[in-house]
Amino acid sequence: MANVRFENITIKYGNHTVLSNFSLEVESGQIMCLVGPSGCGKTTLVRALLGLVKPETGTITVGDRCLFDAAKRVNVPAEKRNIGIVFQDYAVWPHMTVIENVSYPLKKQRRPKSEIRQRAMHVLEQVHMVDYINHLPGQLSGGQQQRVAIGRALVTNSDVVVLDEPITNLDAKLREEMLIEIRMIQQRLGATILYVTHDQHSALQLCDKMAIMRQDGSLSQYGTDEDIILRPADRFTFEFIGVSNFIPITRQGNELYLDCGELIPYPGLPADSEGKEMGVRLNDVVFDHDSPVKAKVISRVFLGSENSYFLKLGERDIRVQQSMLDARTLGTVEEGETIGLRFLNPHFYSKKEANPA
Amino acid sequence: MTDQIILRNVTKRFTTKTLGDIVAVDDFSLNVKEGECFSFLGPSGCGKSTTLRMIAGFEDLTEGEIELCGRLVSSKKKNLYVPPEERGLGMVFQAFAVWPHMNVFENVAFPLRIKKMNKTDVEKRVKEALRHTSLTGLETVFPGNLSGGQQQRIALARAIVTNPKVMLLDEPLSNLDPKLRETMRFEIKDLQRKFNFTIIFVTHDQSEAMAISDRMLVFDMGKIMQIDTPENLYNKPCNRFVHNFLGESTFIRVVLQDGKVYAKGDMSQTIDLQIPQDADEEMVVATRPNEITLVGETESGYKTHIVKRIFLADRTEYLVQVGEQMVKIQTPHRVHFKEGEACSVKFLEPMWYPADDGTEDIDRERRQIV
Amino acid sequence: MNRNMNADLAAVDGRRRLNMDKLLTIICFVLLFIIVIIPIFMIIYNAFFFEGTFSIDLFKEQLTADKNLSAMWNTLKIALFATILGTIMGVFYAWLLGRSDIPAKGLMRALFNIPYMFPPFLGAMAWDLLLNGRSGYLNRFLMTTFGLSKMPFNINSIAGIVFVEVSYYFPFVFLQVVSALERMDPTLEESARIAGAKQGTVIRRITLPLVKPAISAGALLILTTSLAHFGVPSILGYAQGIYTLPTRIYAVIYNSGGSFEGIRQGAALSVMLVAVVALALVLQNKILSTGNYDIIKGKSMRPTLIKLRGAKAPLFLVAIFTLILIVFVPLVMIVLISFIKAYGLPLTPGNFTIAQYLKVFKAGGTLDSIKNSLIVSITAGVVCMFLGTLVAYVVQKIKPKGKEALEVISVLPYSIPGTVLSIGVILAWSGNLGITLYNTLWIILVAYMARYLSFSMKTSSAALLQVHSSLEEAARVCGASHSESLADITLPLIRPAMVSGFFLIFLPAMREVTTSILLYGPYTRTLGVQIYSLRDAGMIPQAAALATVAIGLIIILNAIVTQITKDRKGV
Repeated sequence: MANVRFENITIKYGNHTVLSNFSLEVESGQIMCLVGPSGCGKTTLVRALLGLVKPETGTITVGDRCLFDAAKRVNVPAEKRNIGIVFQDYAVWPHMTVIENVSYPLKKQRRPKSEIRQRAMHVLEQVHMVDYINHLPGQLSGGQQQRVAIGRALVTNSDVVVLDEPITNLDAKLREEMLIEIRMIQQRLGATILYVTHDQHSALQLCDKMAIMRQDGSLSQYGTDEDIILRPADRFTFEFIGVSNFIPITRQGNELYLDCGELIPYPGLPADSEGKEMGVRLNDVVFDHDSPVKAKVISRVFLGSENSYFLKLGERDIRVQQSMLDARTLGTVEEGETIGLRFLNPHFYSKKEANPA
Repeated sequence: MTDQIILRNVTKRFTTKTLGDIVAVDDFSLNVKEGECFSFLGPSGCGKSTTLRMIAGFEDLTEGEIELCGRLVSSKKKNLYVPPEERGLGMVFQAFAVWPHMNVFENVAFPLRIKKMNKTDVEKRVKEALRHTSLTGLETVFPGNLSGGQQQRIALARAIVTNPKVMLLDEPLSNLDPKLRETMRFEIKDLQRKFNFTIIFVTHDQSEAMAISDRMLVFDMGKIMQIDTPENLYNKPCNRFVHNFLGESTFIRVVLQDGKVYAKGDMSQTIDLQIPQDADEEMVVATRPNEITLVGETESGYKTHIVKRIFLADRTEYLVQVGEQMVKIQTPHRVHFKEGEACSVKFLEPMWYPADDGTEDIDRERRQIV
Repeated sequence: MNRNMNADLAAVDGRRRLNMDKLLTIICFVLLFIIVIIPIFMIIYNAFFFEGTFSIDLFKEQLTADKNLSAMWNTLKIALFATILGTIMGVFYAWLLGRSDIPAKGLMRALFNIPYMFPPFLGAMAWDLLLNGRSGYLNRFLMTTFGLSKMPFNINSIAGIVFVEVSYYFPFVFLQVVSALERMDPTLEESARIAGAKQGTVIRRITLPLVKPAISAGALLILTTSLAHFGVPSILGYAQGIYTLPTRIYAVIYNSGGSFEGIRQGAALSVMLVAVVALALVLQNKILSTGNYDIIKGKSMRPTLIKLRGAKAPLFLVAIFTLILIVFVPLVMIVLISFIKAYGLPLTPGNFTIAQYLKVFKAGGTLDSIKNSLIVSITAGVVCMFLGTLVAYVVQKIKPKGKEALEVISVLPYSIPGTVLSIGVILAWSGNLGITLYNTLWIILVAYMARYLSFSMKTSSAALLQVHSSLEEAARVCGASHSESLADITLPLIRPAMVSGFFLIFLPAMREVTTSILLYGPYTRTLGVQIYSLRDAGMIPQAAALATVAIGLIIILNAIVTQITKDRKGV
């Protein structure tokens, strides 16, 4: 068990700076999810940790072992870093059987044959692949290949295991199962896991801590799942983590109004929200007949676990998700009706710049 | 409204080298009304595409007959077969199937040119179709230079340009990204309103089917499971397969004793539920994660504790132990429990199914194929 | 970002060690320079420079000679007709086997591949025996049967040459188009049906335009191959004085007794031939670039086969007849003639003997020629397998500066006619540069290597592209060094491709004539050359006997290859 520290990492491809002075710590024995839109540099960070790409500046340490230090010219080669990795495309070797794949890292450590066999079998038990030890990867399903890749990453008892978008290629049901399995394996072995993904949903299901990266490679927020959902640090995180309605707020006279083509008064807007936008999650818009804010229902679509509404508030489109529980207790509204709205947990952010990152 | 598409006892059998005889579609009867948006929903290989292709005329029937707009187009008994080009249909395919060697205009104009329509009419109608699919201005562009969404719009424009009465859509949104999928869903409904055609929509995505359909049909293994409106299908599924296919499901095995309901593996407390009339000794109670309420331990309900709490963007998920089973509950963020905390759970109007209807075996089999 | 990933590891390694990668790159450049660049340079140099000074006199003289002009004209005519007819035939049969419900598809497809396996000059030999304008067996049979006063056919004509070339080259188009039809998304055609088009209209307006790139690619292959082809026009054309550029080059050098002057004239003619081929390439490139689109998408679904209904039986008969004509007739003829006592005798059982076989094998050259061919082909195959893989690895994985040049250089010799390449090799390795390989097997080997390198390079390249960089990276992270990850992961993964690269070179090298006919010495005849010389010397039944042996060899080798490729597991 060990923590992972990135300090002041800068990585460039030619003239293009992917990461600039990036720092982050993965705490020992935890699952840390690094989340960001694709192309934000999270995979590059992982490749730097593995020794597959060389940063210009900064240090990378695992526990008290320094893997990379630009100033001291330390750069431990990839094969000596002892970090487990599961790539997005699994990268199990198609010409080796399951057990050969899993044994390979131990072979490279020149372990005795009996120990290799015993440890490989132990790991294969952990990932429920004992029945397939002599299969070639081509004979396995995507989920099974995934397990082989995870087994190979765990077999050397690495302190740190990196999972780079490991479940993106699986279907929804299998994805959920794999997440639970990753969590259970982690609990059994106690490894530190760095989980990289662009899918905030699976990250939330899995993580102890979460780090959100902006498109330009900078860190937007680092914290627990609750921090990130309930107290997003900035508009980027708020928008990245879920779909929302945004309504601009303007002042007329002494009063603040929701600007929806026409000005709609909404009591309780904070004084400093003038000129900002109010962001509200789709499921935080609730129907309340007593509210003075009245919207017209354009359409209701039944989606099973929820109703999806399109409303017109003034000239602005508002989307609402109503959970079935609310639908049962509060009732539904139909096309053409008018309904009062209340906004729960509003967040106020300055307007988007003309050229969003 | 009249029935526009009628299938009578349609059966399709294949013979393959590896699997022998396969019944892809089994004694299938169906009426689709004029102007309806009707979905075929089912897992891959359930026969939904085959049925659509029989309606289009690309596959022969083994038995039965098909009637389109009051005209018999396929009949085994009468040895009648109208080729696809004479059925007067519109069709959109999953892989777009726009012709890469023709520009947008020529793609859309093709059906009219085949009909030998005069030039000015062709131009007028193609323009109209392009306008309705937001493709105006792209007339001279070749499809290879367009995005997936735009290519699918070309396919739609090409399908509506002849003003067909019936539109067949074969997983038209599956190759698009999720955001676009939603937009296109509305566009298709919009086109239907304007051009007033009947839609048969094939998909394996239940939320897509529910969002778009007036009625839908759930298929499995070439058989009709249930035909109904989306709300009825979701709320009153006829069996566990349909229940499971239409959304996240929680199945709880229960034991009935002396008119009381116990969770299997826990005979120490009862679950407060209305028992249906013809219940067996062992049953399965089916509900959905957001139709279980989670309340404090002092309130009435099944007493248990929180095993795991997962905080998600739009809801919190809790795992609780019910008898021998883990049950997932979804609540809004405002419902707040800690891991390990005691709590009570209540099930809202669940469905009851026989404990042993073979669903589990079939499920396991399917999983092994995947 | 993804684009950079392959180069990442190389960059990290490159800074750390005095490295293997750089060494491999240098080896690559040096070998390609020796094998490819030097011969090509020598041709150009000798065509335009005489004793160190620039002069286009020789070139002018050759260009204006009547014989050469008519040869050029013939070359163009033959290539053009062979291309047009071969393309039509290839497309027709591709559609018939790929899209219609004609019976016995699998068998017919296998049979249509046969012309692809055999050297066309054997076909030319067979047809010469059958339809020779003076004494062809079939001609004589038709004359007596129908009481004609003249021989009805004359294969020793431009039309005859075109006919034989078409029957051996149409598979180029056939194979390309069949595979394009198979990969084509059937919904493209189905949506045209839905749009109201009848089957015929769909073929005309949708199917054919969509496979146009495949058709053009196949047609280009026919065109360039025919332009550079030696065997058929030399066997069928000599007797009537019909020359093409390749046969003319051979004649010039042969008549001058291998003197330097002759070779120089050949070099000048070569430049003309190269110019014609280059022109063809440019033209085709223009046509190809207008219609490049991807038709490989969509879920794989068996295409709906078109019912031929009433036309089924006649079309089936036509296909069978074609197969008999182009596959069986020539093969049977060669085998029959190999058993005849003397050329010209009627094909009656009394005239059959196995004496020809005994004679051929008693003659000293025969066994040597088989041995030579085996040695040269195997060596060329093995060397090219490694060298091609090396080039592919450097181009795909190391990606040094100038990798495009490396790629072009290794493919270049294949687009140069074999005759031309031979002249380059002669000029380079017969003493001009201080090394004399002339009259040894080495010179043939060098020529084969240059000619076939691109085959193994391309297959290894394709295989390496399939080896995603993450496979190698995973090995590195698991504790393998750079060379270990090469040995444990990359090489095993591309081994099957290397093996098939070997066979792709070995098989055509075994039946080669075009290149070796200019390079052989008294003791270094190859199998192809030996057959050609026997026939040239009038010993036709003996040539047929050796040809039969060659055919047997080819069949056995092909069977072995199919067996090996079938047994390969994994990957």
